[in-house]
Amino acid sequence: MISLKPRSILLISAIFRVGLILVGEWQDTHMEVRYTDVDYLVFSDAASLMASGQSPYKRTTYRYSPLLAFLLIPNSFISRCWGKFLFSASDLFVGLFIRIILKQRKVPDDLCTYSMLIWLFNPFTFTIGTRGNCEPIVCAIILWIIICLINGNVVQAAFWYGLIVHFRIYPIIYVLPIVIFLDPRFFRYGTKPLLSDWTSDPGKARQINSELIDKCAVCDVWKSTFTRSRILFGLISGTVFLLCTGFFFHLYGWEFLHEALLYHLTRTDARHNFSIYFYHIYLNYERELSVLEKLVSFLPQFIVQLVLILCFAKDLVFCFFVQTVAFVAFNKVITAQYFVWFFCVLPLILPWSNMKLKWKGLCCILLWMGAQTHWLLWGYLLEFKGKNVFLQLWMASLLFLAANTFILIVLIRHHNYGPVFRQHTDLKTTKTT
Amino acid sequence: MKSYFENYESLHDSSFEDFMAHQLSSSLCQGIPDNWNVGVRLSVRELSLVGEGSHRHLSSSIRLQIAAASIPKLPAHLCEVIVIQRLPLGVFADPFELQNPHKHKAFRDIAVFGDTNLELPSFQSNRSAVEFHIDAGFNILFMQNNGTEFNLLLPLDARYQPLDESGYSVVEIGEPDMLMRCSVEGKQHKQSCLFMSPPNEKAKSTSATVAWKIPAGMKAHAGFLSVITFVTALLSTLSIVYASMFLSGTKVSKT
Repeated sequence: MISLKPRSILLISAIFRVGLILVGEWQDTHMEVRYTDVDYLVFSDAASLMASGQSPYKRTTYRYSPLLAFLLIPNSFISRCWGKFLFSASDLFVGLFIRIILKQRKVPDDLCTYSMLIWLFNPFTFTIGTRGNCEPIVCAIILWIIICLINGNVVQAAFWYGLIVHFRIYPIIYVLPIVIFLDPRFFRYGTKPLLSDWTSDPGKARQINSELIDKCAVCDVWKSTFTRSRILFGLISGTVFLLCTGFFFHLYGWEFLHEALLYHLTRTDARHNFSIYFYHIYLNYERELSVLEKLVSFLPQFIVQLVLILCFAKDLVFCFFVQTVAFVAFNKVITAQYFVWFFCVLPLILPWSNMKLKWKGLCCILLWMGAQTHWLLWGYLLEFKGKNVFLQLWMASLLFLAANTFILIVLIRHHNYGPVFRQHTDLKTTKTT
Repeated sequence: MKSYFENYESLHDSSFEDFMAHQLSSSLCQGIPDNWNVGVRLSVRELSLVGEGSHRHLSSSIRLQIAAASIPKLPAHLCEVIVIQRLPLGVFADPFELQNPHKHKAFRDIAVFGDTNLELPSFQSNRSAVEFHIDAGFNILFMQNNGTEFNLLLPLDARYQPLDESGYSVVEIGEPDMLMRCSVEGKQHKQSCLFMSPPNEKAKSTSATVAWKIPAGMKAHAGFLSVITFVTALLSTLSIVYASMFLSGTKVSKT
């Protein structure tokens, strides 16, 4: 049983991250292989351009919102490590928000602590921020949106949601589950929604589940689509998104729209990456893909997202997690930084999983890491040894998708599905009479 | 190279050679006595590719020779050797890597010109060139009879190549173009003088080009690969759909 206090965990994590940043700076100066992510240099260059009144898009490969460059302007006059400290601080906020969300749902202290540790001491996640990758900011805001929603603060949730979709397009996949989640049975204007508390009894969880899940979510949506909460959420988030986008379009024109938004919507990369589509794209790069081919590659993503939303939207956090895993797995381009998108939600769903670490959990971890390592080995042979192993690398991508699919199915099977909210008692009474 | 790209959109050997021959020679020292022949000889003693895979280094050993009588006349501390390495379509130099101070502190300046888009495959990209400026002062002052040598190590990355039945594509990298620039006192004011090896006296290096064999996709894979990719995606989709609807806790209860 871990007896560390949350404050101590956060303090140790903070010291560790500061140390990593300093070691990283030393490594960059004295060693051939840099610690800092190449993207960080892109952000910093874009920030200096912005600081001198120029467009950040003069920096080639800067494909983010100008907001990011704005946040990193102090890199030019305080310290070039400012951005890394900012991202690492966001990383710590993710750990804090994990605890806040779980405590609000009455998860026992030890499980909360384990969940915090899974994020804060995951080697993948603590290197992301300290190397200068901006994903921790996105993760922190996503979790803050969850906190706002579970506290019934729709206006604030909508504001941050509009902002984060402008900042990083992928959270757009959460719009439908959030809309479904804002069910009028739970969200009543002026009343804080009632949270379903965590329970270790799967039988009790199913009982709660069956009281509420008496119709499919599609029917719920059609029955009461235009509620106050939903309209408010849509209007505010849409307005924030359009305002930010419009403002930066006014400042930077089509270059901003293309680099920060359209590029991500249409991105295909022929270079090798974890996606099963990379070799298909490379083999067909010299010709335009037909509409049918584009549709066929988009359909799996679309179908999986729709089904996951309709099945799990009421358990919003779990829905976010499975959607993100599937979104990454079926994407046309997969790079390692995308994994952090679901890593930040994973600690929030584990207290509701009846899968034990020994041995099923451990097998899943080893399977996922094994499939990744297998891919990396072929990637190493291609990139660093110059061997033509495109076919083997593509097969490793297929295996990686298979591993992701299998693990996702196992997590779905072992999840104690339970809506985040329960009905208000007066509504329940009305229904049973 | 900056001047070249101000006049031309992309790098072509013929345009560049014309540029070097006519544009630069017209800017050589004005009003300098014709008999002031510094006898500059710049040659590539060795050219090789170091490393394996998609990230290698082009190693160039360059010899600078100057007629002994001319050395005292030269303002050695104001001379630099300029090396321009033109790169073929299949490879590029990453400007980010060239900024690494640990590796390139010996150079006064390094810059990449042309297509610096790192992401495009070779059949969608244009050529690029890397320009080095090396301080030659120390080397000139202490030059031996057989000249002085500079060693360059240029990090290169391979682009994705056009498809090839053999599974590999061969890219050839030639010798760099080289000249020396000195800032000398002219009749009226200081000016930049450029010195190049006379074409007919250019020493032959041991290897004029180096060949880089880069893996390429094979068209023969295209047919079955697309089918298997989409079938795999479909099977994964169906599995997840089935699990979500029938294996999760979201069963519809018939009460």
